Amino acid sequence: MGMQAGAATLENSTEVPQKTKNRTTLRPSNCTTRHLSTGYREALGEYLDGKKESEEDQSKSYKQKEESRLKLAKLLLCGTELVTNIQVAADIREIHRRVEEGEIRRQRLEKLENEVKTSQDKFDEITMKWEEGKRKRIPQDLWDMLNTQQVHCAGLIEDKNKLISELQQELKTKDDQYVKDLKKQSDDICLLLERMEEQVKNVMKTFRQELNSIEKAFEAERRELLTSNKKKWERALQAHNAKELEYLLSRIKKVEDYEKQLNKQRVWDCEEYNTIKIKLEQDVQILEQQLQQMKATYQLNQEKLEYNFQVLKKRDEESVVIKSQQKRKISRLHDILNNLRSKYTRQIRQFEEENQSLTSDYIRLVTQFKELQKAMRHFALLDDKRFREIWLMNEEEAKDLISKAFDVDRIIHTQHLGLPWTAPDFWFLRNVGPISQQQQRSATQILEEVLIQTEEEGMEEATSETESYLDLPKQVSMKTTRKILMLLCDESGFLIESKLLNLLRPLEKSECYLLKLDAIFSALGIESEDDLYKLVNFFLKYRVHHSPSSQERTSPMSALDPGEQTDLERQKEGSLVGGEPEEKEVPPSPTLIHPNDVLKILEAFVMGLRKPRDPPAPVKVVKYVRDTSKDSAYWEALATVLPYATQNLWDALYTALEKYHLVLTQRAKLLIENNSLEKQNTELQMLLQQYLDSKVGDGDEEGGQEAVAGSGTGADVRK
Amino acid sequence: MQSMQATLGTPTSSALSRFSTSTQDKSSTAGQTSSTGPQPSRPSIIPPPSKSKGWGTGASGGRMRRIIAEDPEWSLAIVPLLTELCIQHIVGNFQNNPILKQLLPEHKQKVLDHLSPDLPLAVTANLIDDESYWRRCCTQRWPVCHVAKHGGSWKRMFFERHLENLLRHFIPSTTDPALILELLPLCRNYVRRLRVDQFLPPMKLPPRPRSGELSESGSEAEVEEPATDHYQLGDLVAGLSHLEELDLVYGVKDCGMNFEWNLFLFTYRDCHSLAATIKACHTLKIFRLTRSKVDDDKARVLIRSLLDHPALEELDLSHNLVGDRGARAAAKLLSHSRLRVLNLANNQVRALGAQSLAHALAHNTNLISLNLRLNCIEDEGGQALAHALQTNRCLTTLHLGGNELSEPTATLLSQVLAVNTTLTSINLSCNHIGLDGGKQLLEGMSDNRTLLEFDLRLSDVAQESEYLIGQALCANREAARQRAPNPSCFLSPITAKGPENPAG
Repeated sequence: MGMQAGAATLENSTEVPQKTKNRTTLRPSNCTTRHLSTGYREALGEYLDGKKESEEDQSKSYKQKEESRLKLAKLLLCGTELVTNIQVAADIREIHRRVEEGEIRRQRLEKLENEVKTSQDKFDEITMKWEEGKRKRIPQDLWDMLNTQQVHCAGLIEDKNKLISELQQELKTKDDQYVKDLKKQSDDICLLLERMEEQVKNVMKTFRQELNSIEKAFEAERRELLTSNKKKWERALQAHNAKELEYLLSRIKKVEDYEKQLNKQRVWDCEEYNTIKIKLEQDVQILEQQLQQMKATYQLNQEKLEYNFQVLKKRDEESVVIKSQQKRKISRLHDILNNLRSKYTRQIRQFEEENQSLTSDYIRLVTQFKELQKAMRHFALLDDKRFREIWLMNEEEAKDLISKAFDVDRIIHTQHLGLPWTAPDFWFLRNVGPISQQQQRSATQILEEVLIQTEEEGMEEATSETESYLDLPKQVSMKTTRKILMLLCDESGFLIESKLLNLLRPLEKSECYLLKLDAIFSALGIESEDDLYKLVNFFLKYRVHHSPSSQERTSPMSALDPGEQTDLERQKEGSLVGGEPEEKEVPPSPTLIHPNDVLKILEAFVMGLRKPRDPPAPVKVVKYVRDTSKDSAYWEALATVLPYATQNLWDALYTALEKYHLVLTQRAKLLIENNSLEKQNTELQMLLQQYLDSKVGDGDEEGGQEAVAGSGTGADVRK
Repeated sequence: MQSMQATLGTPTSSALSRFSTSTQDKSSTAGQTSSTGPQPSRPSIIPPPSKSKGWGTGASGGRMRRIIAEDPEWSLAIVPLLTELCIQHIVGNFQNNPILKQLLPEHKQKVLDHLSPDLPLAVTANLIDDESYWRRCCTQRWPVCHVAKHGGSWKRMFFERHLENLLRHFIPSTTDPALILELLPLCRNYVRRLRVDQFLPPMKLPPRPRSGELSESGSEAEVEEPATDHYQLGDLVAGLSHLEELDLVYGVKDCGMNFEWNLFLFTYRDCHSLAATIKACHTLKIFRLTRSKVDDDKARVLIRSLLDHPALEELDLSHNLVGDRGARAAAKLLSHSRLRVLNLANNQVRALGAQSLAHALAHNTNLISLNLRLNCIEDEGGQALAHALQTNRCLTTLHLGGNELSEPTATLLSQVLAVNTTLTSINLSCNHIGLDGGKQLLEGMSDNRTLLEFDLRLSDVAQESEYLIGQALCANREAARQRAPNPSCFLSPITAKGPENPAG
């Protein structure tokens, strides 16, 4: 409103015809709006009708509401339009005013400019004429000219005055128009207010109407609902009443029944009551009696209890005494306990110390022991060496002696006795070095042997098989062993390192087997000969064990327990050593052992092998202890290399030879005497000669005779 | 309206007289209330105390009691409770000793119910928050109270209207400015809107000799005459911490036949001080300066101060003298603020200004409403705006009434209607659209599903096409109503719907 009013105040002038025209144009617009609104309403009604069908389920009130809403929206729209029409009219008026004002202003400016131009021209003319006038000499002319000038100037001034009056007139009309405008604006505002009020009234009225109609619709609906509900309610009420009546009747009947039953019950109850009363009275009497009895017993009990109480009191006192004693005892025991504890802790400490010292001692001893062992081992080695050296020395000596003895014997036999002499052949004579238990051969050595031997066997079948058993002290034949080993070699290739396999490829078959088996045995932990035999036996046992079919064929003792069977098998195997035929009864083993079983067997074997091998160290120590039992025999044998007979012979021979020696020595003496005698003889002869020479004859004869005597004795001894 | 009518006839200087009488009224009423304030409650209170006294003495002696007991009027119901008495006393002495916060809620309510609405504001302003008390204050002072216009708060309404009243009747160099500034600490927390529809010029004892000169050349006199400056809002607005809306008219209301040009002078000093004021007020959301003869230069000063304002959403410079340069400044403001509503109705914007506005509008994403009613942008400006609307995706309301537009603009607008999906309201009334233009607009409407209002009154459009456009709008409105959960269109002011527009 304020804005509109402001807009209105800015309008200074409007044209009356324009306004009336606007009025006239705006007035019918009301009619048209009304007309149109009714038309629209009809259209709306149709639309609603169309909607009605689609929304049959919608309630009447909803429809009314919708209808009212549309109607009212329409009304508001029209109303606001009606009101704003004034503003629009004012706007267009203002625009027209502005246009016209612009036009008028332009015209006025043009007019003023024209006026300025014309007046300027006139003024110029006048000023020109002044110049002209100065030149005029004739007063008549000058006067004329001045007159004309005056006329011109007056005309000019008149023009200007006219213009001023015109403008003032315009201003006046403008002022009038301003007043008019103010009036018109107030009229406009009045109209606006009127319309607004009318609009408000209209809207209020229609809103109220619509509200009423909506309320009516709601009320109608409510009434309908009420009536329908009332009907329902009445129906329900009637039904309820009927049911109520029914219930009442049945209730009355029931009440009668119950009354009858109650009477019956009452009579019955009375009777029962009486009987029960009598019974209970009797019971009461009995109970009273019992009560008396109970009272008596109670008194008795009371006395007893009092006595007991006294006794207990006394006992209690006693117990108090005992308790104090016990307490004292406990304290004493506690003291002892504490003492013991302290002692115990002290002892523990002591023992710990002892223990520590002992452990340190023990450690020291262990180290000492180890050192000692090392030394011992060293010494043992040294001893061994020395022993060997001494042995060898002695042996050499003995052998020298023996050979000497044998030489002597031989000489004696050949030269003295003239017998042919054969050199006695004894094992110990060939022996060099100390006797030791035969060294346990390693498994590989055996393998080598086995393989070589079997190969040899293959080459020459003729060689007796008994010989082959020499190297296998257990019960298995070479062939089976070999086969088992081959099988083993083939099946457990995984135990061999791949590098080794590559290296083995270029080698010969037997060598290849050998090396492979070596690797396998090292992997399995088979070291000694025994282990190998165990393995082979294990295989055989397994085979026997796990091939009942073959068992059944070999022996009819299939019914026996497996343990006994294995025992029997073992026995059989023990007997198997004896000969080949029995072994042949058992089908060739390797064929029976399925290659797939080999691994299982191996596993079982390895598991079994581990157990007995656990303590290997002490065995080793024992191994080094030499067996001296045979030594004495050896030495004795060496000592008695010559039998007693020969010794006796030798004794006899000795004595004889001594005698002979004696004789010979005597003879030698005699010979020496003889020789000396001869020498004397010769000397004597010489002397004789000389003497003869000197004395010719005497001396010679005597020396000669003596020489002859000497030679003659010698010859005698010899004979 | 009635007052305006009444003053239309009176030839005297109404403003001054009105002001004086109103102040007299106020003072007289204040005096009256101060004298009569405690009285109305007294008469009802006085009788009970005497009785209570009697009852108290009667309790001490039996004889006395018998005498009292014989009193036929006496009954327990008449005796007021002590709390009642206390409350009455508090109410009576509220001005000197305001006790409110310490009371229990029920007693507080009683006190508030009995407080006089004429208590000095210095006592009540920051103490009482109760709406019913302020409601009594308002209804006592003003016969018509639209509390909904003041955010539903009676207290806010009281202070806003009180302050507005003071400002309306403030005469520079005559009234003491302390009168307003005194009120500032009391109302600063409650005033959110300031709507002052008149600023009185300084009183001049001999206005007669100068009036002719001023009426002839107002702007010159304005420059050389600083005495015509109005009240400077700077201090007041700086003090109001919650001010959101400023609605000013530098002019005199209801001057009637006393019209003089110097009553409507918005001087350069006013302009600069107002610019500084609104620039300093960061909470301002709505700024209206209407009917104040703001020309291009002043508009530019004001708008420059509003550039990059943090909160401004609405700018209204309607009914001024803003021309193309001012419009260009407004266009610049569009791209330098978050302006949502721009109103330049009834100004002197021409094609050039409209083109600059259109240029700013083409890529703006804030502006919702643009009002260029009663300008003269003509077809050139109209076409520019239509081009801008083809890219704009924000504007919903466009008022181009009375702008000398004709068919070319209508053809372009019809293309816009087919494309644009945000516009809901267009006003093209009082233009020369013509019959062909109307047909083209009808074609454009046939593809549009969002437009709800389209005003084509008095724009030379054929009645048939206007009717058909109205039908289309009706369908759009129905669709919008079904889309929205609340039937808002039922009550919205719908203006454009008229086949009733006369062809003649």
